[in-house]
Amino acid sequence: MSAASQVVVPMTVAAAAKRPPLARIAIWVVTLFLCLTPFLLVIVISFGHKVEGASWEWAFSLDNYQRVFVGANWPDEVTFLYLQKLYYSLYYAVIASVLAVLTAFPFTYLMTGLSKRAQSVWLVFILSSLSLSEVFIVMGWDVLLSNRSGLPMVFKATGLTQWLKDVGWFDTLRDWGLANPRNVKFKTSVFATVLTMAYLVWPYAVILLYPPLSRLDRSMTEAARTMGAGPWTVIRTVVLPAVRLPLIGSVLLLFVFLLGVYVAVTVFAEPAKQTMAVSVYEAVRGNTLNAPFGSAQAVILLLTAGLFLTLGQWLTRRNAS
Amino acid sequence: MKGLHLAGIYKDFGSVRAVENIKLDFAEGELTALLGPSGCGKTTLLRMIAGLEMPSGGSILLGEDNITALAAHKRRFGMVFQNFALFPHLSVRENVVYSLVIAGTSKSDAIDTGERLLDLVQLSGYGDRRIGELSGGQRQRVAIARALAQEPEVFLLDEPMSALDAKLREDMQVELRLLQQRLGITTIVVTHDQREAMTMADKIVVMSQGRVEQVGPPQQIYHRPENAFVADFIGKANFFDGVVEAGKVRVGQSLLELKTPAEFISGSPVQIACRPETPYLDSDGIAGSRLKASVTFVRDVGPVRDIHLQTEIGPMIVEYARGETERSFTVGQETIVTLPVEGLHVFPRNERAAA
Repeated sequence: MSAASQVVVPMTVAAAAKRPPLARIAIWVVTLFLCLTPFLLVIVISFGHKVEGASWEWAFSLDNYQRVFVGANWPDEVTFLYLQKLYYSLYYAVIASVLAVLTAFPFTYLMTGLSKRAQSVWLVFILSSLSLSEVFIVMGWDVLLSNRSGLPMVFKATGLTQWLKDVGWFDTLRDWGLANPRNVKFKTSVFATVLTMAYLVWPYAVILLYPPLSRLDRSMTEAARTMGAGPWTVIRTVVLPAVRLPLIGSVLLLFVFLLGVYVAVTVFAEPAKQTMAVSVYEAVRGNTLNAPFGSAQAVILLLTAGLFLTLGQWLTRRNAS
Repeated sequence: MKGLHLAGIYKDFGSVRAVENIKLDFAEGELTALLGPSGCGKTTLLRMIAGLEMPSGGSILLGEDNITALAAHKRRFGMVFQNFALFPHLSVRENVVYSLVIAGTSKSDAIDTGERLLDLVQLSGYGDRRIGELSGGQRQRVAIARALAQEPEVFLLDEPMSALDAKLREDMQVELRLLQQRLGITTIVVTHDQREAMTMADKIVVMSQGRVEQVGPPQQIYHRPENAFVADFIGKANFFDGVVEAGKVRVGQSLLELKTPAEFISGSPVQIACRPETPYLDSDGIAGSRLKASVTFVRDVGPVRDIHLQTEIGPMIVEYARGETERSFTVGQETIVTLPVEGLHVFPRNERAAA
């Protein structure tokens, strides 16, 4: 090495050490901008005023939040219309996330007992199903559950509807809103909404449960069997407690995801049982064109998700300790 | 309690036969060790006895009852797993009384039994601890107590010492054997450690490639191996190839005297095994074959010395216990090695290679 290069190298290193990490700062700025700006904008707009013509102006008003909780005419008149929408958001998301995890759990548990090759095939199949968009899935279920071409017609053609009438269960279905005087009907209903929402997130549930279940020490279940535990007792006393935390985590994650589902709710839920996510969209892009009010609802939905996540984390910590 | 009887048990995994036509009797109250190298089928056999694997053929009898198709949870044989398989979400006491709780035993009875079993395995006062707070030896004791809680008719242990360090392993071997003798329970232990098998077992079943090679008490297995595999796997042995010649065996230029079984006719290719502790060095008056030898290496490991020799019939290791002879041996020293007649075992040639 020449004398010149011996001098140059230490100087370059020293200069690099002193130079402000511009690239690092730039990455941070871009990341923060992309992550926080939409949220900050929504929060800021939620305190603003609506301007006719789909615009808004800066302000610091709690009117939009007041409207969500007690209605626009409070204190003269109190309405819980938007809290009801929030209730349905939570209602659908809780049932669908629990349903997805409950049905994905036995499937994933049985899958982890298969050969490695069979497991790989199943995982690839399930991962590929994630490429289907919400719109595509909802369209499929829409056809499947439609009164004229879907399952109700199958029920009628195969005589299942008549059989349900004969055994007296048809009236029960009518009480539940799952039948009209002539035939069973699934649209529109809570049943169809929850079923489609659970279907939407089912592959995610399998993928979330697969790692903890595949790591489960099979000798523990075998030990339980040698001690007199039948298959259900093994599941109840060994497997479920061992994967308790991943199960709670999966339900929470899917629940938060399902709070924002739009297409499935608009297609399958009754108009009176629409969710806050639909209401947000209607406020921002629908007929009312009230961005501040839509933003206030979005913030409340976000805070609700945060609240449930915090609650879940607290429960998890308490269980772990 | 009843004895266990295996009649022609075999197990196929696809085209591979993991266990081949096993016929064994496990006497009531006896401790049997299934001993063999990795992959010999001993764990598969134990799992079939436990009901965790279904045999491809043959039958398993407990006393007069055929239990071949009986599910594991209905057999209720206590089993200790290699990694102990304790339930981390339960306390030590809850682990021990697991079988009682799921069987519907009252809480007070389960607690009493739990305390008695923890006392039995010397873990009194540990009932409320979590499994993660226990050492390896303590975990093994919990696993033993848990397997014994349901008062099983057969007690199964799959490599129970393999997760323990060497010192603890030796202590636990003695402890487990004493416990088994006290309870008088029919016990089957799977191990690949011949020292462990010889320490604990009333009877050893040596297995290789899914087959039973020899069954017998530990001393019989060691001193009278029935084939070259057993002679090689149990303890150490020097092997020589030879040919039977008029009731003796010719190895190279030497003719060795030994008790040749009647089935070997002259000209039969055979293999001779000789335990390293049986030959004598420079000793007169010993009946046997005397061979010239020179010392090539001396390995002194404290209680014993291995003296490596080059003899007329090939290399040989002679093991001398400290105090047995105070003579010193140096590399290059010439000596006479005597192979006593009763110390040589003869087997058909190629048997060991095939094993």
